[in-house]
Amino acid sequence: MLSRISRAASRGPSSKVSHTVTGYRSRRGIVQPSGADRASVVDLPSTYKDESHFTPRADMLGFKLGMPQREESLKEKVRPIYLDMQATTPVDPRVLDAMLPYLTDQYGNPHSRTHAYGWEAEQAVEDARKHVADLIAADPKEIIFTSGATETNNMAIKGVARFHKEKKKHVITTQTEHKCVLDSCRKLGEEGFDITYLPVQTNGVISLEELEAAIRPDTSLVSIMTVNNETGVIQPIKEIGALLRKHRGIYFHTDAAQAVGKIPVDVNEMNVDIMSISGHKLYGPKGVGVAYVRRRPRVRLEPILNGGGQERGLRSGTLPTALAVGIGEAARIAKKEMAVSTVSSFVLDDDYARSPFHASCYPSDLPFIQLSSGNDFRAGRDRAHVDALSKRLIEGINANVEHVVRNGDVAGYPGCINLSFSYVEGESLLMALKDIALSSGSACTSASLEPSYVLRALGAAEDMAHSSLRFGLGRFTTEAEVDFVIQQIVRTVHRLREMSPLWEMVQEGIDINSIDWSQSHN
Amino acid sequence: MPPSRRAILSLYQSTLRTSKSFSSYNFRNYFIRRAKGTFRAIQAESDPARVQSLYSEAVQELTVLRRSAIVNQLYGGWRLAVEDQKPERFRSDN
Repeated sequence: MLSRISRAASRGPSSKVSHTVTGYRSRRGIVQPSGADRASVVDLPSTYKDESHFTPRADMLGFKLGMPQREESLKEKVRPIYLDMQATTPVDPRVLDAMLPYLTDQYGNPHSRTHAYGWEAEQAVEDARKHVADLIAADPKEIIFTSGATETNNMAIKGVARFHKEKKKHVITTQTEHKCVLDSCRKLGEEGFDITYLPVQTNGVISLEELEAAIRPDTSLVSIMTVNNETGVIQPIKEIGALLRKHRGIYFHTDAAQAVGKIPVDVNEMNVDIMSISGHKLYGPKGVGVAYVRRRPRVRLEPILNGGGQERGLRSGTLPTALAVGIGEAARIAKKEMAVSTVSSFVLDDDYARSPFHASCYPSDLPFIQLSSGNDFRAGRDRAHVDALSKRLIEGINANVEHVVRNGDVAGYPGCINLSFSYVEGESLLMALKDIALSSGSACTSASLEPSYVLRALGAAEDMAHSSLRFGLGRFTTEAEVDFVIQQIVRTVHRLREMSPLWEMVQEGIDINSIDWSQSHN
Repeated sequence: MPPSRRAILSLYQSTLRTSKSFSSYNFRNYFIRRAKGTFRAIQAESDPARVQSLYSEAVQELTVLRRSAIVNQLYGGWRLAVEDQKPERFRSDN
């Protein structure tokens, strides 16, 4: 009985299908049915792994081990320690906490003026603007949110140059600028502008005399970065600003992406007209940056993005509320950490015994933060930490490895240390150091094996530019990590040098540069 | 009215405990270091008004820190190469 029913059931639909198909064929419809006869069979690729391909092992006793992807990677992976703070910094958990409400419940458009969703978002954005302005001693109205330092650099350089193109056709920059500044200048060069690329001295700092000599009556813009991203060299922005202020009608742009939040920056003291800031270099989120555009005297520039006229018409487009709040909070934290005077906090005075509570109530193992000698007290707690780590790293490597050269100015930002290890290839060193996330230069060029153009501009020889490593230290780097890095670097450099025939020759006292490598027959 | 010694110590204790609950190595160590620094500064402060303001600031920060620690526990947790690795465990034969 059952079998008969099932047979009938199985036969039933099929006959119906064939009937309808013939029905379709007889009547021409608009949509052609795609029947099974038109389908082609394609073999699955050999790499395809379906659930059903799972073969249980004997020791699983018939139980299938289901484990989420994340747990699996948690179990096995050892994460390398992060020492590439110039490429990007981790988002501070406090910054993320400030952002989260605007990624969840408070999703209003900050430009909506007709309802509470818009008002609360606008309030948050304006607060963030104020925090950023406070960090660089600017007015909140001079702060413009962009998508990052690259956009700001493009906006500043192209905008100012194009706005003044009738009268002025000259732009000055340096050879060690970031790629986006150099490329914007190249683009302007194609449009008929004259670009001067100033050389730098061997320590990476530009010379003021050369800058002054390069200024022409038709110079509209000078763009010089505050802190170099590869060498940590700090340019004398204050002196450059004072020099340019003497010449009327020259705008001064500085790319301070690597500087803000790390060294004290004051736009009025530095006489900067336009400044670029990036969110993800000061422990904020990626995808947001700030342009500081001076209002008095007013800087006029042609916007790249036209549209709704947001941000004083210089950068149209809806503001990303959460990202703006993120960079604002990051700026607030950076400012607060700078305000912590490392001296007064850690030197106990005579009133100590009379203070509201006693030393005995504290655990006795509280360490004092050790200050390095050359500490800039205006820069606060983060800086003191980075200074100490930097000193530790340099001393640790110097004590154990010879023939190491530090590229760039020694008085540069201590959180960016560019070292060249002679007779070792930088890329092979990077590959051998798999437990450390490092870079041999800027992240933008880390895909190519070309030596860094910044180091070449400093006058480094080809082999030294090839053997460079950049150590980026920051707020979240610990002493244990630095010690680990020293230990790994020392071991790897020694091992690689053991393999190197060049190193052997150096040990024998042969001067490498005197060797004629080409086999000339004469 | 400045906070009592007991109140400050209890706040210090909770701040430290919250800092230790971060699962990311770098954040955990930073916040522990920061908590120690902040409370050292309060300890060294003699002006009661300043102590009061530092104390209320630290209370504010603790609430932020608590939320941050929870988020970090949800998404963090890979072990870094410098940390103690968990001993590798094998399935026993029995």
